Amino acid sequence: MAERHPILDLKDATPRMLPDGVINAPLELRLAAGEFALIECPSGEWAAHFADICCGLHPLQRGTVQFLGRDWSGITHMESNALRGRIGRVFHDAAWVGFLDMEANILLSQRYHTLRELPVLRSMALELAHEFGLPGLPVGAPVGLTPADLARAACIRAFLGEPLLILLEHPLRPGDTELPVPLINAVSTARNRGAAVIWFTPDDAIWRDRSVPATHRLRLSEEGLIRPRRLT
Amino acid sequence: MNAVAAISPEARGIRRMLASIGRFTRRRVTFLLRLAALAWGVLREAARPLSWRPMVRAEFRRILRQAAGGGLPATLITAVLVGLVMVSQALYWLGEAGEEELVGSVLVTILVREVAPLLIGLIVLGRSGAVTAGELGSVQLNRQTRVLLGQGVDLFTLLVMPRVIAFALASFALGIIFVFVALIVGFVAGSLLGPIQSSIFSFLDRVLEAMRAADFLLLPAKLLSIGYIVALVVCLTGLSAESGDRLTELLPRAFARGVLTIMLVSLVLSLAA
Repeated sequence: MAERHPILDLKDATPRMLPDGVINAPLELRLAAGEFALIECPSGEWAAHFADICCGLHPLQRGTVQFLGRDWSGITHMESNALRGRIGRVFHDAAWVGFLDMEANILLSQRYHTLRELPVLRSMALELAHEFGLPGLPVGAPVGLTPADLARAACIRAFLGEPLLILLEHPLRPGDTELPVPLINAVSTARNRGAAVIWFTPDDAIWRDRSVPATHRLRLSEEGLIRPRRLT
Repeated sequence: MNAVAAISPEARGIRRMLASIGRFTRRRVTFLLRLAALAWGVLREAARPLSWRPMVRAEFRRILRQAAGGGLPATLITAVLVGLVMVSQALYWLGEAGEEELVGSVLVTILVREVAPLLIGLIVLGRSGAVTAGELGSVQLNRQTRVLLGQGVDLFTLLVMPRVIAFALASFALGIIFVFVALIVGFVAGSLLGPIQSSIFSFLDRVLEAMRAADFLLLPAKLLSIGYIVALVVCLTGLSAESGDRLTELLPRAFARGVLTIMLVSLVLSLAA
């Protein structure tokens, strides 16, 4: 019987120190289909750095990062781009391409990696927009939207097209009380269909919240990923 | 005594001078090498059907609309002005001198071969090249490339290739319109200025007869190459912006580089023809 690969597998992954690098410790994390890691990390920059490592965008000095059983360092540029098309991501900052309108931004990855027709993608995105509490797909330039609407649009983009790995870099804005429930529901739906999820949060309360059904609760620090013995 | 301390102040000065010359030369050569690599890369990628994904096609359509549609009014106005000033004057004065049969060769040599590609290059550069340099410079400076790379989008395929092809096609289309409008307007203005013996059809026929076989290749080659190279220059300038650069510095840099390359391409192709 063929062995099923985990969705994401970081083995002794030690990022090469770059001028903008922040994590310099070996990272160990294995996420199978349906697993959900909730990671508390102090800053969005750290979350982005870790997410980049998971996506094979950050060079390693030691260890491996595998996505769907493929080592990022052993595949071609085209293959790695195609694999990144299976990853949905909420970006911490600079999340939108300024010269594209919101619809083009949201559908960008799907229109780049798939041959799905535009009306089909629009209806999929619209369905997600309703789930995240928006009356429709955001229109106009990204600069014209409120931070709350941009946070919802980022979630639509991350979950669009049934990605196999979902990386959520600080998806909730402080004080946003409406987004957590649809986001947790979307995470559960994605896990049920076999996706793995990593949610980075700077908020200790969310990290401790038992209603967030994480299978791994970790902290990201300069020493790497730390597994606390118990929630206190 | 260590080696650094052993160097005399004069030698240090010479070293510094050589280093600055080397730095300047390397920067210029790097830009040219990147330009050549991008030019080849666009040709290679554009020939592959897989490169033309739905998002790339959408971006190509947007840029083509912007470059051709946006450049059309400026092209028409410039063509009318050139027609009034250049074509009608050539018709009038050659007619006065009794050398009306030279009209075709004069217009082909000056308008078709030289002026049209040069002016169209400047229109495409000013009207659309500046926009592209601003868009890509902004993407680079605001680290929006990260969001594209994170989604597995190839920057070259999405940002460079469709722009280069769209600029080349827009430049060709605008150039043909420019020549046609300039000739028609010039003939009408020349007719109003003085007694022109020929009809519009025989005038156009004379222009066509004056064109050699090479001219039928030179005009499209110049227009396509100028559009192609203008797009490459502005894309490269925008995407090579470094932190600390400002858009107000990028745009004049892109414009100056663009003007130089337009003239260079025009000159090289004229000499080659």
